[in-house]
Amino acid sequence: MLYLYWHAFINRLRSQALRARSPRYIVAVLLGALYLWWALFRNTRGGSAPLNSLLLSDVTRIVGSAVLLLLSARWWIFGADRSALAFTPAEVQFLFSAPITRRGLVHTKLLRMQLAIFVNTIVFSVIFRGDATELSTWERAVGWWMLFSTLSMHRVGASIVRSSAIEHGTAGRRRAIIPVAVFCALVAAVAYGVAADWTALRIASVSGIKTLVTAVAAALQAPVPAAALRPVQMILDPIVTAGTPAWAMSLAWALAVVLVHYLWIIRLDHAFEEAAVEATAYRAEVLQRFRASQMGQARSKKGTLVKVPSLSLQGRPEVAIAWKNVVAALRGGSWKTQVISFVVGLAVLAFATRAASTKAADAFVGVTVGWGAMLLFIGPLWMRFDLRLDLPRLTVLKTYPLSGWRIVTAEIAAVTLLHSITVWSLMTVPIAMFVQDPQAYLETGVTIPILASVVVGVPAFNALMFTIQNGTALLFPAWVRLGTETRGFETMGQNLLTTGATTLVAAVALVFPVGVGGLVLWLTNDWGGWSVLLATVLASTIIVLELWPVLHWLGTVFEQTDVTEVGSPS
Amino acid sequence: MIDVSGYTKMYGDMVAVRSLSFHVAPGDVLGLVGPNGAGKTTTLRALAGILQPTSGSIRIAGVDLQQDPVAAKARLAFIPDEPQLFDYLTVTEHLRFVARLYGVPDAAPRIPALLDELELTAKKDALPTELSRGMKQKLAIACGLLHRPAAVLLDEPLTGLDPVGIRRMKETIAARAREGTAVILSSHLLHLVEELCTRLLVIRRGEMMAFGTIEEIVSSRPALAGRTLEEVFIALTGDDVLDGA
Repeated sequence: MLYLYWHAFINRLRSQALRARSPRYIVAVLLGALYLWWALFRNTRGGSAPLNSLLLSDVTRIVGSAVLLLLSARWWIFGADRSALAFTPAEVQFLFSAPITRRGLVHTKLLRMQLAIFVNTIVFSVIFRGDATELSTWERAVGWWMLFSTLSMHRVGASIVRSSAIEHGTAGRRRAIIPVAVFCALVAAVAYGVAADWTALRIASVSGIKTLVTAVAAALQAPVPAAALRPVQMILDPIVTAGTPAWAMSLAWALAVVLVHYLWIIRLDHAFEEAAVEATAYRAEVLQRFRASQMGQARSKKGTLVKVPSLSLQGRPEVAIAWKNVVAALRGGSWKTQVISFVVGLAVLAFATRAASTKAADAFVGVTVGWGAMLLFIGPLWMRFDLRLDLPRLTVLKTYPLSGWRIVTAEIAAVTLLHSITVWSLMTVPIAMFVQDPQAYLETGVTIPILASVVVGVPAFNALMFTIQNGTALLFPAWVRLGTETRGFETMGQNLLTTGATTLVAAVALVFPVGVGGLVLWLTNDWGGWSVLLATVLASTIIVLELWPVLHWLGTVFEQTDVTEVGSPS
Repeated sequence: MIDVSGYTKMYGDMVAVRSLSFHVAPGDVLGLVGPNGAGKTTTLRALAGILQPTSGSIRIAGVDLQQDPVAAKARLAFIPDEPQLFDYLTVTEHLRFVARLYGVPDAAPRIPALLDELELTAKKDALPTELSRGMKQKLAIACGLLHRPAAVLLDEPLTGLDPVGIRRMKETIAARAREGTAVILSSHLLHLVEELCTRLLVIRRGEMMAFGTIEEIVSSRPALAGRTLEEVFIALTGDDVLDGA
């Protein structure tokens, strides 16, 4: 196994290095190195490490353990993540038919997970490196490794037990009932802690998010939730106590947790092979069935095909490509459901908070704005009904009788529209509150200009973000996840860095538009009225003007991209 | 209809296809044959505008593929060996998508006719994942034929088809040729090539080994006289290539 993974790793590195001979990749590697230095090492220059100080806080330890508990509870209560067990088709062909014991296969899976865990460990160790001594960084690295290893093994274990429960009926369910009950009890204990301190939390929520988090941490320190969180805190302790005398003891406890998980996984080996084959088949089926739709089902359980808008046979050909991507989103199942849930859920909450008090309503609007801002940045990463989905079919795309820039623009336009609708759906909150008390909102003179600005600005911003994502996929197809390949939390470190890099590019692109918009507001000295709309229109126009040559250039890149650079659909 | 002149494709220092020149007239069916790795798919992809040639020129129905790729692509259809369909579009929706993309003026009556011809009518509302390999291949071909291309490029068109499907597919290809379409098909099935193709282009390691009708190829190489097409193929593409072959 070591031979297989070592050579696979080396060959992959070799092919990456060969690609890096291309000038485009060389520039990217240099810029990437610069970015990594900036993102990971810049803290040392000032002699301070603000992120590190986060780990020294009790609030982080308590809230972090609650988040980890909820994450693992999700695997048990809401179903296992089957991809945790899946092998590649080549591994199934060669390993499952080979004279290897089930225990050997379990070790193979654990070994393969270690590569991603090591990368994550390095990334997180550098980001949160200690400012006390050099040693504490390495101590913390051991802690990160233990945390990620425990989580990985826990996910695999949960996956095996859950799969076994599904496959083996009553007997399987009996095996799963104890861990599910335990996790339900732990989550209930945490929920009890929050509920017991609800009044204090409500008061704290008015004073801002920092106060609220501190109040949540205080609530979770009560005996019942603290006891529920204690096992999770054991694997967090080596990270937060690095560089202190308590580290050695915390390491011993965390090591015990890791070993218990390892022994548990090994004991589950009787169910592993079956569950792994089933998970592999499931993954292949998912890839095959939903290759282009990302998630969900194209047909309902009754077999009815999800209705989509009909495509007129005549008209601009680019519309066909955009339509195809909209169909992918609609038949994917979750986009439409998500938007409807947003609108209904937010409307209910908006009416409820507005009815409760003005402060509560304001706080909810603040949360919605924060959510919208997060969606603007995160949405383009996970919503991939564009070239990132279609590039594996580059052979077909390149036969279309359309110039490259038109194809690229159509691919980006559809997903921009879809994501804009998602973000616009958050406007349900102010609209619902406006409907409840129109006069109050009209008097401020802010509501309508701001809403109109959101309508204008969101598509422009989304177009920019999706152009960056699609441009990255076109320029570096070998480095970008294409199609519907899914990845577990093990790649969180890499995702974090990618998100940072794309945000950096977006920030550069936004300098001029935001500068002009800001100048308008400064000149008019009107920060909440119609000048906001004027500034947004100007900024959006500049973004569109910036994108115009970029899209033409990406069209040329599309035309020149060799199909051999891009893998075929898996 | 398809004019290729001095087409060369290089990957770095490696020559994938070297100075290939040939002409396919309307109604001709050219069989592109050669061993694995000979450069057949590379050639077809270049003719479809998917790969940029390193040198040489390709004209489709009089339009230069490098100078005006959009107009040239509008006149051709490329059907790859592995049907690449969109999993979330039904059979009919695929055809509507292609009709809009290629601006087919009579798409409304033509779509059901094509579905009928390729025996897909019963599956018109099915998603590709609900189709057999052969049905997917038929759908890919229906998409390719919808806009009445002047040139059709088929890469291993019979892969995955059952005997009845193979018969139908051969009829479909022959019918298009009779209508004046220039067809190039790449295949390892020599009996198919012998039955359907009016000319052969034999390539080996990216170089043209022979071009013409089977009779012309054999008559220009006396050592091949009286041999079967399989023996001719092996003689032309094997390591012990016959002198004068």
